[in-house]
Amino acid sequence: MPFVIPAQRLLVPCLLLLVLTIAATGTGSSFMPPERVVAAFLGQGARMDEVIVWKLRLPRVALAIVAGAALAIAGALLQRVVRNPMASPSVLGITDGAAVGVVLFLWLFSDQANILQVSVHWQPLAAILGAAAFGGLVTFLALADRGGNRPLKIILYGIALAALAKAAVTLLIIVGPVYRASQALTWLTGSVGAAHWQDVLVLGTGLVLVVPFLVWNRVTFRQLALDPQSATLTGLSLSRAQFALLSGAVFLTALAAAHVGAIGFVGLMAPHIARVFHGQFRSGYLLATALTGSLLVLGADTLARIIAPPLELPAGALTALVGAPLFLYLLLKGRRSHA
Amino acid sequence: MTRLIAGLCLLLIAVALFSLHAGLSFYSPATVWSALAGGEGADALIVRTLRVPRTLIGLAVGAALGLSGLLMQTVTRNPVAEPGLLGVNAGAALAVTLAVTVFGTGSLAGIGAAAVAGALLTTGLVFAISLSAGGSGNPATTLLAGFTVAALLASFTQTLLLVDETALETLLFWLSGSFADRPLTLLQLGGPLLVLGAGGSLVLASALDVLRLDDTSAQSIGLNVAAVRLGALALAALLAAGAVAMAGPVMFLGLAAPHLARLMTGPVLPSIRHLVFLSMLTGAVLATSADILARLIVAPGEAPMSAVLALIGVPMLIHILRRRKGLVT
Repeated sequence: MPFVIPAQRLLVPCLLLLVLTIAATGTGSSFMPPERVVAAFLGQGARMDEVIVWKLRLPRVALAIVAGAALAIAGALLQRVVRNPMASPSVLGITDGAAVGVVLFLWLFSDQANILQVSVHWQPLAAILGAAAFGGLVTFLALADRGGNRPLKIILYGIALAALAKAAVTLLIIVGPVYRASQALTWLTGSVGAAHWQDVLVLGTGLVLVVPFLVWNRVTFRQLALDPQSATLTGLSLSRAQFALLSGAVFLTALAAAHVGAIGFVGLMAPHIARVFHGQFRSGYLLATALTGSLLVLGADTLARIIAPPLELPAGALTALVGAPLFLYLLLKGRRSHA
Repeated sequence: MTRLIAGLCLLLIAVALFSLHAGLSFYSPATVWSALAGGEGADALIVRTLRVPRTLIGLAVGAALGLSGLLMQTVTRNPVAEPGLLGVNAGAALAVTLAVTVFGTGSLAGIGAAAVAGALLTTGLVFAISLSAGGSGNPATTLLAGFTVAALLASFTQTLLLVDETALETLLFWLSGSFADRPLTLLQLGGPLLVLGAGGSLVLASALDVLRLDDTSAQSIGLNVAAVRLGALALAALLAAGAVAMAGPVMFLGLAAPHLARLMTGPVLPSIRHLVFLSMLTGAVLATSADILARLIVAPGEAPMSAVLALIGVPMLIHILRRRKGLVT
């Protein structure tokens, strides 16, 4: 199988993303027309414009793009492994696990006056640890379960543990003098509002690291679309393949959740949309999915900023609003979506 | 069976009485009795205006959710069906939030009507989805559909509340799911719904007994399977709506109560008629106990009851998922 990506098919989403990026960067407390945004991008703009664009708006836009891509790829991997179109990163319990990590970190390292004892830069690490702990717990439960259909069991245990994690977060927020408890709460809705270039860098690096893994597993990813018997006949070690792709999904979800919280429905919707405009068995499907995820989160965050100014809604609330009709349509359309 | 029901009634009375004594400050029975007899003073006021309503609401909500869960589990033959996990609570909560934010409803009747409408619509939606996804008998599909719909509706609710800050202040507390500081007048709303649900369940009990067979057998005996299923689900939605209107969305009570009730009967498979009473009693005991725990575990603060119930309910859910061979096909 030659590794080529049909560029012309991805041209439209790429162009859309570019247009949306320019529009999103221009949107804010002071509107900036596209030509000034582009000028600032290219370093030809007015000094003030460049400060606004590079310091204030672009980190947020870039974070939305990388987080959306990460969540979307995680969703595509999951739907393929679980063979269920309703699987999404949030049902793994991982996003809520990340929130537990964050709240626990704030609780442990805050002193009486609610001042954090250690640098806040350790927070993403806490989130990743929390996500990994819950991801590990869900996986362990599923492995210890000798019943059939292990991937789907993982989802069900994920739902159970997500509920447990939500309860733990609420308890910790109430019990402990938590430094910036309100910020801990934004994790549960999901927002790219507090973006810094550093977040973009960490998330972007994570994404880049995943690319070779995805290229390496691209054949596996296709084989998993077959029914289990046929997949095994094509020489696939089913449990190993499931484990590898699940790990990838856990890593990506944890990474995104650590930085932007639980932006829901992106991992659920993006693979479906990409399947419609690109096709799930054409090479470049994951890239199409990633682009769709970026478009979704960036679009949602931009809408969230202009819908009720000066109030900023969390992007996570908007992705659900945008995704709802689509999700229901996909489901009621029947089961052709059985990845 | 009669002995078991009588024993549960006694346990319920004991827990309810303990609920009047327990809290940030423990009262002697003498204090509680004098308060109930109309005594004066701060302690009496606390018992009469805080602890009595809280206990009564808890009993009603617990009974309603326990029965609602039983009906859902029986009709769908799905051991993990319950109003919280299937998104019915979230639907009722969204409808109430909509009524308050968009239409400015303040009346009890309006809130009740909204909760009922939301619960019925969501129940219809979730079961329509799981049916169309080819999984009427597949608990996993129903659970996924419910989880997704619940997440969806919850984010709508959050968005509405973010846009409307005054509503946020009045509703956020109610949305956390608790029995504390609820006006007793809510019982005028939840009480009738509970009576209606219990009465309807008893009427349907023998039909539901037959429905425990597979659909084909039930039909050959002459049962109108679709009608019974629809009726029982409607009752389950009404009960959940009553509970949400009283206490806000509460998870896991509807899951745990019927399972505990079945555990208590041992190897005997009780009739639905018995299970109706058992589930209501178990739900009421569970709800009141969870509420007492919520008052005590992080004193002087108060833990959210939803968190306490999750700590009980999640291990139980995991146990059910593990035990059931063939739950996921």
